[in-house]
Amino acid sequence: MLFNRNHSFFKRLIQQRTLAFMCIPFVLWAFVFKYLPLWGWTMAFQNYKPAKSFSEQQWAGLKHFRILFEDSTFYRVLRNTLVMSGIQLVFGFVTAITLALLLNELKNIIFKRVVQTVSYLPHFISWVVASSIVLTVLSPDGIVNVLLTKLHLLDKPVLWMGKGSYFWGILGATQVWKDVGWNTIIYLAAITSIDPSQYEAAEIDGASRFQRMLNITLPGLKPVIIILLIMNMGNILESGFEAQYLLGNGMNIDFSENLDIFVLKYGLGMGNFSLGTAAGIFKTLVSFIFLFSANSIAKKMGESRLF
Amino acid sequence: MLKNKLLTTSLVLILAAALGGCGGGNSNTAPDTSAQSTNAGGNEDAPAVTYKYFSFGAPKKQVLGSETTIGKELQNQTGVDWNIEYLVGDGDTKAGVMIASGDYPDIIDSSGQMAKLMDAGAFIPLDDLIEQYGPNIKRVYGPYFDKFRQQDGKLYFFPYGANIGYVSEPNFQTGFYIQRSVLKEFNYPKIKTLDEYFDLLKQYKEKHPQVGGQETIGFATLAGEQGSFFTLQNPANHLAGYPNDGSTIVDMKTHEAKLVGGSDYQKRWIKKLNEANAEGLVDPESFTMNRDQYLAKLTSGRVLGYFSYSWQVGDATNNLKKAGNDDMRYVALPIVFDKEIKDQYIDPPGFVNNYGVGITVKAKDPVRIIQYFDNLLKEENQILVQWGIKDQSYAVDANGRFTYANDAQRQLHEDPEQSMKFGFDYFNYSWPRYGNNSVLQDGNAYGPGNQPEVASYGYTDGDKKLLEAYGVKTFSELFNDPDERPWSPAWSIALEQGSPEQMFITKADDLQRKHLPAMVLDTPANFDKNWGDYMAQFDKLDKKTYEDFITKKVQERVAGKW
Repeated sequence: MLFNRNHSFFKRLIQQRTLAFMCIPFVLWAFVFKYLPLWGWTMAFQNYKPAKSFSEQQWAGLKHFRILFEDSTFYRVLRNTLVMSGIQLVFGFVTAITLALLLNELKNIIFKRVVQTVSYLPHFISWVVASSIVLTVLSPDGIVNVLLTKLHLLDKPVLWMGKGSYFWGILGATQVWKDVGWNTIIYLAAITSIDPSQYEAAEIDGASRFQRMLNITLPGLKPVIIILLIMNMGNILESGFEAQYLLGNGMNIDFSENLDIFVLKYGLGMGNFSLGTAAGIFKTLVSFIFLFSANSIAKKMGESRLF
Repeated sequence: MLKNKLLTTSLVLILAAALGGCGGGNSNTAPDTSAQSTNAGGNEDAPAVTYKYFSFGAPKKQVLGSETTIGKELQNQTGVDWNIEYLVGDGDTKAGVMIASGDYPDIIDSSGQMAKLMDAGAFIPLDDLIEQYGPNIKRVYGPYFDKFRQQDGKLYFFPYGANIGYVSEPNFQTGFYIQRSVLKEFNYPKIKTLDEYFDLLKQYKEKHPQVGGQETIGFATLAGEQGSFFTLQNPANHLAGYPNDGSTIVDMKTHEAKLVGGSDYQKRWIKKLNEANAEGLVDPESFTMNRDQYLAKLTSGRVLGYFSYSWQVGDATNNLKKAGNDDMRYVALPIVFDKEIKDQYIDPPGFVNNYGVGITVKAKDPVRIIQYFDNLLKEENQILVQWGIKDQSYAVDANGRFTYANDAQRQLHEDPEQSMKFGFDYFNYSWPRYGNNSVLQDGNAYGPGNQPEVASYGYTDGDKKLLEAYGVKTFSELFNDPDERPWSPAWSIALEQGSPEQMFITKADDLQRKHLPAMVLDTPANFDKNWGDYMAQFDKLDKKTYEDFITKKVQERVAGKW
């Protein structure tokens, strides 16, 4: 039986040898760029010194993982990372899908284009510029404070960036502002693939605009939404780096410092590459777990999935 | 069918070749150029080459050395040109990435990243090269070799402070800056203590609540941006009458180093800021804004006082000077806690040995680079990088003194754009060089800024009036002369990467970044409680290891062991 299967495998391989041949460069590419770098993980188990060769490195066992897990800062940083990615994930999805649905209902093409262009333009500004804009807008004499005091919603200007508890909200809003238009594009593309006859049929049956949105467009988007959700679950510990780094300061450090900044400070910053790698491995493992569980949940629910 | 097969196979081959080619590309080109330049050696008609120079120092525009007047002249002499690049973003990250990838430029100006680069073995030892090709290097750096020899007894880089002779600076470098209109308003009062300083700001603010339609800001500082927090930490040692020794204060007699963080000095300084904040004098944005916003504020004329080092605010200072309104400009004053304290704002003559420029292991032709360095250290070229070209950017008077003959010459040095174009910005620092306070063979000051004739030439009418009001000839006369501190500066003591000392100072700085601003902005009634909370956390850290380490290093330096 086994032999038989093997036999048919080889037979098929020979039959499709041209295809197999064409795969080789890409398999090589994946191996060289995706698998070989895993070798660097050995650093996490050494007291790594950059100038020395591999054989000269001193092995340290799990020391760096222990340092990581014993540090109270690590847990605060981990919490911040999870919360910030959570906010980003939920906010990002909800706003992008809503905007896509609304844009899809627009019949005035010019207006639609303008809205789309304006909403995705911030995506092309670098975070350095974007953070400067945010800092200026939220400064004590920035537009937000001026507006709120003029409307008598505030007695005196608030130091938005100086209050840790505001940070997550500010960051979430900033990320939405920056990326909502860009994220919408994929949904708009998916909407165009929905069969227009469904809408016509629904219209004849007397479905309102809202009902059409709810019963045709949204289910049509479902596969895309789920695939994107699964892929984003894998990045749950990637809450971004630039935004937090550029907007963070001493006063909101308790809420703004995330895993990447921690690694930067205690790993790269202090030349402790081993600690940085250890944190990186931890991140990969967590992402792995998230990715697989999201995928298997999707499978159980009988939905489209990544693999 | 056969045709098809041939086609696909060849397609695959082409793909594979393309992939292979990409990988090999980089490594192929490197040896080529090196072969070319090794032939050249160092003789005058060697083929032109361009090397890469990377600086971790203050960011400037990327440039090709030969695009500047000075760089062009040096290229004519040596055939070597430089692609000069500056750090964009965070130095720690850039250095980490550089090390991790092993992708170094030919030479690096390390700025604060020296420990990391040394640890990674980024630089080549220079002893043999200097021995063979460096008569001028030996002349300039020879007396200082022992101060920057590394643990293995070798030299790896050139620090920038090898003074030849000594002349002091006529202009202030740091202090509590105050807007000149404030001094003018109160008829140039003599103020010395921190209380008097804030009192003056308060009185002025009450009289002039608005400047140009916007609210007047009493006092600001740059303590929000990553890597600038020392601007809030360092005033405590200056106010107590000590120079900038980094995070410690060193006792003059026992040479013991004590941490400033958590000390009574820090408490007094932060408490004063807290009180001033309650009176609406402190700009709360001091703790959140970035450098661009800070400089914009300083040039807006709204800020009455600030604390910074002159190199942090160079752009703002130059632009204010260019704008020509003397009342809007600032002057630094030697403010201290109490009247009887002797200020020490002016750095004592010292030798900064923990940063400099070195040749990396990736340099294609170290010999040619060291020859370039040696040529650069000839006195005529040192004059070129500081003073420029005679009768073009400076003049020599009947007594042989260097000076500026007219405003055009001064502008070449002072106007940011012209100075960049001429190359002063790129070549007068961050290269092997004489120390700032050096004296040339003919008695002229090495740096134009230190030449009294030039200093007084550059003074505007407002400057002169101010100096006259205080009865001094130069700004530095407002300050006390520095006392001798043979270990100076203590901030140049290198901490080992990943050592307990480095761990401590990283944690301590984080703690201060979090607590000090919050303490300043809270109501004064809560101050003692907040300070208690802060100290409770501070005491958990291993302060003693750090202090002992710095003390040991200071004492070694005093004993002549650097």
